[in-house]
Amino acid sequence: MSSIDPRINRLNLPENNDGKEVLDELEQWETYEVFHQKKRGDQHVHVGIVHAANPELAIIMAKEAFGRRRQTANLWVVKSSAVTATDYDDQDIFETTPEKTYREASDYYCMDRIRKYQQEHGIKDRKEDRRKKKESV
Amino acid sequence: MYGNAQIDSKDKAKSLTEGEDPIKLAEFEARIIRGEKIEPKDWMPAAYRKQLIRMIEQHAHSEIIGALPEGTWITRAPGFRRKLALMAKVQDEVGHAQLLYSAAETLGKTREDMINDLINGKSKYSNVFNYPAMTWADTAIIAWLIDAGAIINQVTNSKGSYGPYCRALERICSEESFHLKYGHDNVVFLSTGTQQQREMVQDALNRWWTPIMHFHGPPDKVSQHTEVLMRWKVKMASNDDMRYRFLDEYVPKIWDLGLTIPDPKLRKNEETGVWDYTEPDWEEFKRVINGDGPCNKERLQVRRWAEEKGAWVRRALLKAESKYTIPLA
Amino acid sequence: MNYNETQLIAIKDFLYKIADDQLIIGHRNSEWTGLGPLVEEDIAFSSIAQDKIGQAQHIYEILHSLGEADADTIAFTRSAADFKSCHLVEYPIGEYDFSLMRNFLFNHAEKIRFEMLADTSLEQLGKLARKYRGEIKYHTMHADTWVKQLGRANEESHARMQTALNETFNLALGIFEESEYAGELKKMGIFEGEVILQQKWIEAITPILEAATLVIPDKNTWQPVYGGRKGYHTEYLEPMLVEMGEVFRLDPKAEW
Repeated sequence: MSSIDPRINRLNLPENNDGKEVLDELEQWETYEVFHQKKRGDQHVHVGIVHAANPELAIIMAKEAFGRRRQTANLWVVKSSAVTATDYDDQDIFETTPEKTYREASDYYCMDRIRKYQQEHGIKDRKEDRRKKKESV
Repeated sequence: MYGNAQIDSKDKAKSLTEGEDPIKLAEFEARIIRGEKIEPKDWMPAAYRKQLIRMIEQHAHSEIIGALPEGTWITRAPGFRRKLALMAKVQDEVGHAQLLYSAAETLGKTREDMINDLINGKSKYSNVFNYPAMTWADTAIIAWLIDAGAIINQVTNSKGSYGPYCRALERICSEESFHLKYGHDNVVFLSTGTQQQREMVQDALNRWWTPIMHFHGPPDKVSQHTEVLMRWKVKMASNDDMRYRFLDEYVPKIWDLGLTIPDPKLRKNEETGVWDYTEPDWEEFKRVINGDGPCNKERLQVRRWAEEKGAWVRRALLKAESKYTIPLA
Repeated sequence: MNYNETQLIAIKDFLYKIADDQLIIGHRNSEWTGLGPLVEEDIAFSSIAQDKIGQAQHIYEILHSLGEADADTIAFTRSAADFKSCHLVEYPIGEYDFSLMRNFLFNHAEKIRFEMLADTSLEQLGKLARKYRGEIKYHTMHADTWVKQLGRANEESHARMQTALNETFNLALGIFEESEYAGELKKMGIFEGEVILQQKWIEAITPILEAATLVIPDKNTWQPVYGGRKGYHTEYLEPMLVEMGEVFRLDPKAEW
C-alpha cells in the first residue's frame, strides 16, 4: 500500500488485512495508578494511570506520560489492584453534623471572660497600652 | 481532536431509561442537577454508560488516528523549531489517547477491546482524519483549525458529568492551547511569507474547509434521546452550536490573514447574529465515516501494523498471573 | 579563547560528529511516533527523540558561534558527504528490537561522552554537557529497563534482542572512530579521546547486557564500521536528508 507519508511507505503495509483480532486479553498489561509530587514538601497527588508490565516499566512510562509537561520532584506508581478505596455509596459516612463545633478553632473565644476577670481583679490589659500608643501616633 | 456525541441508530427505538430502577435513576439525575460528578463505581443507567464508553472511546481513537495525518510530515518539518514542535504535538495526541483510553476503561471496557474494535472498523473515529495532509501547509491548517474545533468541543465537554472524562479533558485542553498557538503561528508564517508559501496555505485551506465544516457533525435532529443525554450532561451542546462558536471565533481570524474561505455564502448575518453558510456535503460525510474516504484504509492498516509489530514486546512481558482490574479513576 | 586555524578545524569536526549523530538518531527515533508498541512507550520514545534533536540543535548553535552557518541551514541543507555521523544512527528503524538496541548502545556512549565533557576546556560545550545530564540519564534508564527485561522475558524476545545486538554491535563500535584531530583535542583539554570512551562504554554496557542474558560478540570478531566520521556513509543517509529537507529546501530563504 503506498502512502504520501514516506515513513509509512517504508513499513510496506499490505493492501488488505485478515480481519483478525490483534490484541489478546491483558496484552496491554495491568494498570498502575500514578501519584505525582510537584516539588519537595508537596503532597503526592493522583494524576492518572499507565499500563505497564511491572513497576519498573510503570515508572519509566509514568515519567513521560505525567512528568514531561509539568514540574516534578517525585512519582509513585501503585498497581490499581493494590488500592483499597471507600465506596461512593458510603459517602455519607463523611458527613459531619453541624453540632460538632467543639473541634473547630472558631468555636473557641474567651476574651470576654478574660476581660471581665481582669476588671474585677485590677489586672491591666496588656494590649490597651499598645492600642493607645497606636492612636497617639 | 474530536466531534460530539452521536446517537446510534440502533438505540433510537428504545427509551434510554427503559428498565432502570426509578429511585436510583432519580438519585443519579439529582446528583447531576446539583452539579456533582459521577465517578466510576457509582450506579449509572446502562444507556449513560454505553453512550459514554462510545463517546470517550471514539475520542481516544480520534487522537491516536489523528496522530497520522500530521505525522505524515514529521520527518519533513522545515527547521528545528517546527520539527520539534510537530513532534511534541503529535506526541501530545498520542498522550491524549492514553488519557482517554484510561477514562473509558473506568467504565468497564478494556483497552484491548477498544483497540480491536478500532482496527476491525467496529468503532469510529473523527471523520476528518480520513483526509490526507497533502503538503506541509495542511499540517498547519490542521493544527490551527481542526484543533480549534476540538478545543471548543473539549472545553464544552469538560463541564460534563463524568468525572474521569472531565479530568482527562482538562489536561487535554491545556495541551491543546499549545497546539492552537503552534498551528496559528504556522499559518501566519505561511500566509505572510513568500508567494509560494501563501499559495500552499490557501490550497490547504481549500482542501480542509469541508472537513472543518464536517468536524462537529451534522445538525442534530431534536429527539427525546438528545434531551436525555443533555440532561445527563453527556452531550453538552448541539453540533450546530459548536459549529457557530467555531465560525464566530475563527472565521474573522482567517480573514485577518487575507485568506479566502471557499464558501461564497459565508457571512455573519448582522441582524440575527447567525452565520450563513453553504451546508457542507453531508452525503460525503456519511460516505467517509462509513469507510469510503481517501485514507480510511491506510489509517487502519497503520494501526494494525503498529499493534501487530508491537505484539512480541507486550506478550514477552505478560505474566501468567496477571489479573485485570478496572483502574480507579 | 582564541583558537588557531587547526584548532578550530579540530573543534568543529568534533562538534559536528556529536551533533550529527544526535540529529540522525533523533530523526530516526521520531519515525516511531504514533507507531509504538504501547501508547505509553510511544510517548516516552518520542520524548527521547525530541531530546536528541534538541541537543543537536544546541551544538549546531555553538558551531554557528564559531563561524559556521545557522543551525537550520547546517541541519537541513548539507548533503551526506558533509555529515560526520556514524553508520549506526543512519539505518532505517527496522523493528522495535533493532531501534531499542541501537538506542541502548548509543545512549551509553553519549552519556559517557557527555560526562567526559563536563569539565572540557571548551566552556560552551561543558555547559551543554552538564545541562543535558538529566535528559540523557533518563534515556539510559529507559533503554536499560527495556533491554534487561526483554533480554530475559521469553525465548522470542531473547532471540530478537540477541540478534539486534549482533546486528548493531559493529556499527556501534563505529561511534568510536578516532578523528585525525584527536591529538589536538586532547592537547587543548577538550576531549580525552575515543579509545578511552570506548573502554568506558564497554564497562558500562557489559553488566546490563549480562543482566539481560545477552552476549556481546567475541572480541576477536569485532569489526568496527568506520567511515562515517570522514563523510563516507550508508546508502540510507542521503535519502533521509533529502526527505528531512524536502520542505525547507523548497525555499531555504523563506521563513517557515
